[in-house]
Amino acid sequence: MPDLNRVLNPKTVVVVGDKKASGYMWLNSLKTFTGNLYSVQLDEKEIPGIEELGIQNFSGLGEIPEPIDFVVCAVPRQVAPFIVKDCVENNVGGVTLFTSGFAETGEEEGQALQDTVEEMAREGDLALIGPNCMGLHIPELGIRFNVDQPAGVKGDVGFISQSGTHGMNFSLAGAAHGVICSKLISFGNGIILEAADYLRYLADDPDTKFIGMYIEGTHDGPRLIEALRYAVSKKPVVTWKGGQTEAGSRATQSHTASLATNQAVWEAIVKQVGALSVDSLDEMIDVMKALRLSKPAKGPGMALLAMTGGQSVVLTDAFAKEGWDVPLLSDESYAQFSEFFNIIGGSYKNPLDMAGTISQDPKNLDKILDIIDADDNIDALAVELSATFMARRWAKKPEEFERLLDSIASFRERSEKPLVTILHPAHVEAEALEARLKLQEREIAVFQSFERAAAAMAKVATLSEHNR
Amino acid sequence: MSHAIIDAARSGGRSLLSEVEAKAVLADAGIPVTSTKLAANVDEAVGLADDFGYPVALKIVSDAITHKSDIGGVELGLSDADAVRAAFDRIQAAGKGAAPDAVIDGVSVQPMAASGTEVIMGMTKDPQFGPVLMFGLGGVLVEVLKDVAFRVVPLEPRDANQMVRDIKGFPVLEGYRGAPAADLGALESILMKLSEFAAANPEVSELDLNPIFAYDDGAIAVDARIVLSDQS
Repeated sequence: MPDLNRVLNPKTVVVVGDKKASGYMWLNSLKTFTGNLYSVQLDEKEIPGIEELGIQNFSGLGEIPEPIDFVVCAVPRQVAPFIVKDCVENNVGGVTLFTSGFAETGEEEGQALQDTVEEMAREGDLALIGPNCMGLHIPELGIRFNVDQPAGVKGDVGFISQSGTHGMNFSLAGAAHGVICSKLISFGNGIILEAADYLRYLADDPDTKFIGMYIEGTHDGPRLIEALRYAVSKKPVVTWKGGQTEAGSRATQSHTASLATNQAVWEAIVKQVGALSVDSLDEMIDVMKALRLSKPAKGPGMALLAMTGGQSVVLTDAFAKEGWDVPLLSDESYAQFSEFFNIIGGSYKNPLDMAGTISQDPKNLDKILDIIDADDNIDALAVELSATFMARRWAKKPEEFERLLDSIASFRERSEKPLVTILHPAHVEAEALEARLKLQEREIAVFQSFERAAAAMAKVATLSEHNR
Repeated sequence: MSHAIIDAARSGGRSLLSEVEAKAVLADAGIPVTSTKLAANVDEAVGLADDFGYPVALKIVSDAITHKSDIGGVELGLSDADAVRAAFDRIQAAGKGAAPDAVIDGVSVQPMAASGTEVIMGMTKDPQFGPVLMFGLGGVLVEVLKDVAFRVVPLEPRDANQMVRDIKGFPVLEGYRGAPAADLGALESILMKLSEFAAANPEVSELDLNPIFAYDDGAIAVDARIVLSDQS
């Protein structure tokens, strides 16, 4: 198996075949690259546009004046074998084939071209990623395949995607929610290297603390299971399986075969190896937030700290549905609350309705958090930050919001119990976004609804169950 | 090393084992099944029933008939020799009526197992991940509710343990409304043996044990189906 180390830590990158018609998307996306970026383009009409970007163009990989670690190949499919040959001859660290039109077309010519490319890469021990993929996104090194992807920031989530779109969406929407990739690999048809290889790499990658994966299928199931087991032994792995085809498409003669859908089998594998499974992009991002920013709860006892009383019943329901208890607090806690808690329009049962108490004196939030921290009935906290009532006020008086953030951040420092916040955007999306970004800056987990927080925290709690 | 019965079926060009064959193969793998034997004629049927002790069940044995009970090919709870004789004749007639050209090998004879909590276990081959085991509550509800759990072969004891507890109907196995609890250890042990069986017999492509009766002490499969892969 070719070594991925060089291509995933490149110092020199070459884009082959970028063109005006695509707005020079590769060179523009890669202008943030921290190393040296070159272009290879033979078409005379395209070269001036490339040079205008300030990028030196060459007529072949052999002319590049230094060792090449990473090649992005964006040529038409008929040309791809020549570029792959050039990559092998010039001993490049690896290549991603953005080029499509291979086996995924289902036609003979595409399959034949893919076989040719595969054989060349195999013989040359070339780390070929793809074809039919978006390739690599490494924010720390400014490596991108989309100009909106982050650059110059160090992330901690390794993401593997069989689909370029889902990979891109995760990198963009994730970043908007404070989840940044360490390395993202979109691997398309996965002919030389597939999910199992990238899983093993990310499992050993010191920059990667968590692994996410979007996958539809594999050429070698048992090998993927082994790689999953290995990766899970090193760090949390969250999988998102696309393609819920029914096994019923095959002729079956038993109940067992008729019930064994792709999805059922995948869920079984996830349980056996101790990974997590999600069904959507939003859920993937939510679970990554919970993994990154909240400690695993040591038990099911949840304290819900809300800003209104009216919703306490459904809040309790939302958490109960995901397996959490919302228990009564200890007598000791109630005794302490009775001394200062404002019960006119408020309550300290659990869920707590604490808006009035906090607005009387901001220090009361610290007191409330401390009492709950000491309460043995409680293992985790979810704190509502009500955009409905507060977002406009925070926008006008940012120091009040900062005070709140300080309280939460300092609680996180001193407590073993996980704390997440809930900020529903309500009717004030712009102000709520401002508040959310501030929470993210302080690395405080923030979810858009109680339901999503309950689900993500429950997923993370199953991880510690498996490891018991 | 595959089983002689499997080899014989394959060399005969058959992909579905009879219930008698399937149970023999499974019994050799250490999986508890009700002992079941083939009777080619009515006297053999009575002789086997006398040996097993009454009550017994008779089922039609014919390659051409897969859904035995749908055509009247199954008679349960036969309490003496006369009942066996009458049932044998009815089954023969039903088989000929349903499939006039079919070769009917005879009937299978087996003792009636005491009824217990019905569960289903099975195996199928996933095209990407290979053999997969299934566990669920049995009977007709398995098809409607699809309350089943899967694990990929090979299973570890922890997988078998989780599998029986994964289904929504698990409280039924724990003993519901005073019914005795099912012997979960016995069920887990069958799953482990099925995992070994699936790994050792790659030519088996599908398998159903449906139902298995689970008791407060032990469990036994009372019907079994084994499908072999197409020969290549």
